[in-house]
Amino acid sequence: MGKHVVGCAREIPPGARRIVEAEGRSIGVFNVSGAYYALRNTCPHQQAPLCRGTVTGTNLPSKPGEYIWAREGEIVRCPWHGWEFDITTGYSIFNPHGMRVKSYKVTVEATLPEEDPNVETYTVTVEDELVILYV
Amino acid sequence: MLATQSQTDSAQSTRQGLIDCDVHVYPHSADEIRQYMPMPWRKRYRGGGRGFFENPVHGNRLDAAPPNGGPSGSDPDFLREQLLDTFGHSYAILLPNAFCNPHPDPDLGTAIAAAYNDWLADTWLSKYNADGIFKGSITVAHQDPQAAAREIERWTGHPHFIQVMTDSGARAPFGQRQYYPIYEMCEKHNLPFAIHPGTDGMGINIQPSPGYPTHYIEWHTCLSLNFQAHLVSLLTEGVFERFPGFKVVLVEGGVSWLPGLMWRLDAEWKALRPEVPWVTKRPSDYLLDHVRLTSQPLERPENDKQLLAMLEMMDAEHILMFSSDYPHWDFDSPTHAFPKLPNPLHDRIFRQNAAEFYGLS
Repeated sequence: MGKHVVGCAREIPPGARRIVEAEGRSIGVFNVSGAYYALRNTCPHQQAPLCRGTVTGTNLPSKPGEYIWAREGEIVRCPWHGWEFDITTGYSIFNPHGMRVKSYKVTVEATLPEEDPNVETYTVTVEDELVILYV
Repeated sequence: MLATQSQTDSAQSTRQGLIDCDVHVYPHSADEIRQYMPMPWRKRYRGGGRGFFENPVHGNRLDAAPPNGGPSGSDPDFLREQLLDTFGHSYAILLPNAFCNPHPDPDLGTAIAAAYNDWLADTWLSKYNADGIFKGSITVAHQDPQAAAREIERWTGHPHFIQVMTDSGARAPFGQRQYYPIYEMCEKHNLPFAIHPGTDGMGINIQPSPGYPTHYIEWHTCLSLNFQAHLVSLLTEGVFERFPGFKVVLVEGGVSWLPGLMWRLDAEWKALRPEVPWVTKRPSDYLLDHVRLTSQPLERPENDKQLLAMLEMMDAEHILMFSSDYPHWDFDSPTHAFPKLPNPLHDRIFRQNAAEFYGLS
């Protein structure tokens, strides 16, 4: 498992995302209300760049005629066909057990892991927290 | 953009000659169309659009917005890069969305159609078309079939207009005789008549479901109903007997309904033939010589074998032509919309059927 520096935490504030290349894969890293999540930037349907889609909330399953808007900022909708995925898990909303996109571990680390040769180097100050993606 | 290995591999396999039968291009603004209009239409034209039943999610692929600005489908360099170069198109057949068919005033509808044709001819079919990869559709306003026929005649001999197009939204099924001036002209100039969704239930056009559905998902799913009604009308009214050289393309109207509808129509015909005695053979027997369907949005069952069986039932090997519908939201990727197809079926659908039908080498 390789560690990849995505960037400084303050560069990816809540609601923002950054799409990076890591180990030959395009991966989207999202900040959802202060927590970071990462998804493969490839929709399992027709291979669209999923992580370039709209970040939104959704109407939860409800009774006929009832609308329950929730999960604002936790859903990414594919930029082609509009399929919804849960940013926090990679599971699709319409069929979470049968359709999902791969998710990856992300951490925020206060120190520069300079001793790790796999890590790309960035110029940062010591007080920066780094968003680290594990692929 | 899409740099997965599987896509790169499959793009190679279609690089030799993919023909895309439904690509949408747009003017940068209503002014670009307006400049081709005489007065009073130049002053009156407000641009197009359905007005309602807009997609609640997004109407175009979000990544199709040109980086240098402008509407999706308005930048030829970006369209070439994102669509034609990515998938290896040999031709893209362009169908502008003029929205000329819902207007009660036939003169306005005719003026919009003419302006779109002038615009397409000046830009995508010439300025942007040094290599001839773009082929165009002559837009007609079916509110006034005589004027539509004159509009077709105006483009006679143009090297890149290869068909006539109109919306599936209409006031009456397309087999009826008021439309025949259009078909006569199409036949005379060997131009297929392409029917494309757009203004069903809008303006003067009748909604094909019983009344207006509530939601976009219903309206959009039921677009195929109109195509079924138009096809049954064309077959039973004897249009292909009256105009033996006339050809129709059903664009974006659905695919998998065709076998069941034809089984039903053929069965009815056995008893009801004397009601329509000009239908001198099984209705489905007219399809091969006169009718083609484009593939997008291809219905995909969970089990690919069921789709392959349906393609066999409908004779896809001869009558189905690939289309992507770029840049619309329900774009079908040339490399992922279909399951793996055997050859020659793949080559027939992605290239050969359209090449033969439109006479493209």
